Amino acid sequence: MTRLLRGQVVFALGLAALNTVYASQLLQMDRPFANGEPGPAFLPLILCGFMYVASIIIVVGEFRTAAAARESAPQSDVISRIALIGPALTISATALFIVTFFYFGYLVSAAVFTFIVSLFFNYEKSGDLKRSSLIALITAFTVTLFGWLFFVKLFGLYLPVWEL
Amino acid sequence: MISQLGDGFLALAQPLSFLHLVGGFLLGLVFGAIPGLTATLAIALLLPFTFGMDVADALIMVAGIYMAGIYSGSITGITLNIPGAPSGAITTLDGHALMKRGEGTQALGMSALSSAIGGLVGVVILVALAQPISALALQFQTPDKFSLVLLAVVTVTIVASGPLIKAVVAMALGLMISTVGIDPMVPVGRFDFGSYHLVEGISLLPAVIGLFAVCELIAQSSIPASLGKAVAVATIDRPRRRDFLPSREKIREVGLFTFLKSAIIGVLIGMLPGGGASMASFIAYAEAKRGSRHPEAFGQGSYEGLAASESANNAMCGGAVIPLLTMGIPGDAVTAIIFGVLLIHGLVPGPALLGENFHVIAPMFAALFMASIFIFLSMMAFGPVYLRLSQINRGFLYAFIAMISMVGVYASSYSLFQMWMALAIGVLAFLLRTFGYPVVPTLMGIILGPYLEEFLRRSLIVSEGDPTIFLRSPASLVLLGLTLLFVWLLRIRPAVKRGRAEAAS
Repeated sequence: MTRLLRGQVVFALGLAALNTVYASQLLQMDRPFANGEPGPAFLPLILCGFMYVASIIIVVGEFRTAAAARESAPQSDVISRIALIGPALTISATALFIVTFFYFGYLVSAAVFTFIVSLFFNYEKSGDLKRSSLIALITAFTVTLFGWLFFVKLFGLYLPVWEL
Repeated sequence: MISQLGDGFLALAQPLSFLHLVGGFLLGLVFGAIPGLTATLAIALLLPFTFGMDVADALIMVAGIYMAGIYSGSITGITLNIPGAPSGAITTLDGHALMKRGEGTQALGMSALSSAIGGLVGVVILVALAQPISALALQFQTPDKFSLVLLAVVTVTIVASGPLIKAVVAMALGLMISTVGIDPMVPVGRFDFGSYHLVEGISLLPAVIGLFAVCELIAQSSIPASLGKAVAVATIDRPRRRDFLPSREKIREVGLFTFLKSAIIGVLIGMLPGGGASMASFIAYAEAKRGSRHPEAFGQGSYEGLAASESANNAMCGGAVIPLLTMGIPGDAVTAIIFGVLLIHGLVPGPALLGENFHVIAPMFAALFMASIFIFLSMMAFGPVYLRLSQINRGFLYAFIAMISMVGVYASSYSLFQMWMALAIGVLAFLLRTFGYPVVPTLMGIILGPYLEEFLRRSLIVSEGDPTIFLRSPASLVLLGLTLLFVWLLRIRPAVKRGRAEAAS
């Protein structure tokens, strides 16, 4: 089984699992037409049923077209397994940003967030850590300052500064 | 109406409104021209800021982004063979061939002129049709409205790229997300899992930012920079501004008929839900080739082909706004976000909108008109810069997008939960994209879901559960017939043809 095929099947099954979580809430609602009206469960019930059927169709379809599904992930000269590491890093950096945004405020969290994102893209392109760090520092300073001027000074919106 | 339209143009004369137009236009130019960024993303990023803006200024800015973003997709397509946006893909065929021949400045000039003509034709048709269609839509009963929303849902799904089943799943996911929160008809919470955050439902803003900005950031981080590199095949030393003016000979080669025909095709396709700029440019290009005296030149550097696709994709902007403003049906991702801008300001898109609030919408019509003219002027002003536009540092670009999208979500709601929601939807959208599921149907599902459900349930309540109510109204019957026709034309017939061709080979 190719990696992509395995991913497709796992993702389709993941959607079915998510659908089950969604469907679990249907048990707390009245049956459609129980009171003579479609009710709040009517459309969700149709959608749930469809999602299960669609998941099965996709899984079966993926196995049938297994031979055609041989695709390779893009390769970077600098970062190995970039298709996995890149998304993992940006998702983690975004999650870290949200957490630190609450505790440390906008200036610290935005500076760290933009530094990480910029460092990743620049390092991946050049492979030169020193130069990439310098560009990332300048980017972090510029973007954070721009964000502060834009949101707080221009639009007068509140951003947390230091809530500890 | 004419006087209110005149007031719309006068509103643009206000310095602040004019600045919004220019700012939006420049934002659209940059986002449309840079591969990986789109007008949709630019408008999605703008959405949080519209809270603090006057509604007319917000719509003016959106109009500027829309028109410029659709046009500028062709700039890097012509210069680097990498279309900045999908709408520029067809233009790239002939535009880049002209660039290789050393006619890059003329190709860029023709692209700007065609886009400007297309944009202007689109706005004129928009102004002419908006109120008559609104008046017609006011006659619609609930079953008719359901059939109309169903037409939009089905069409957007079937025109999405990739396998149909995945597009339907993406739409179903959007519809499911739309059911979270208070029921639209009965005051009970649904799918909130006991969380007070979810009782209010999933807001449009984190959904839009997640589906487009966060998803784009994650997706770009999985692509090595080397894949985005392209070699400029013809360098033009110190181009002068007048070099970008298309010559009379080239304009005659294209002909007024091709400009207008392509623009009208663009408007008609824009009016169809799910039509979009890519489809408009593709169909206009195919039609221009069919009617051309030199079809063999198409793809090899034809000004006619380039003008047809560019004229159509900007005319689409006017067309796409018609169903949004007159019937409350957004036809693509951009109009879906404009839908959000209107809702944020308490305006409900639909038949009554133009009757009651034309004075608010008129500046947007004027802005679309002016933005079309700006397209041509911008080529004269920035032509030489366009040749260097795609060289912006990726690290800077995505750090900027990352910060502005997440802080934008916070600034619009002051809620960390909404930031987590944007991240969660972004991750889901990235996984959908990775595994070949289109994300635009998901957004349309989120937006149209409440309407689809409400009209469906209201109709069934009136008919006491009898589904034939949708066949008893002539308007509903026509709309359902159109839905079936589109399914036949866009999915079944091509599949049958493909099957026959494969069997024959």
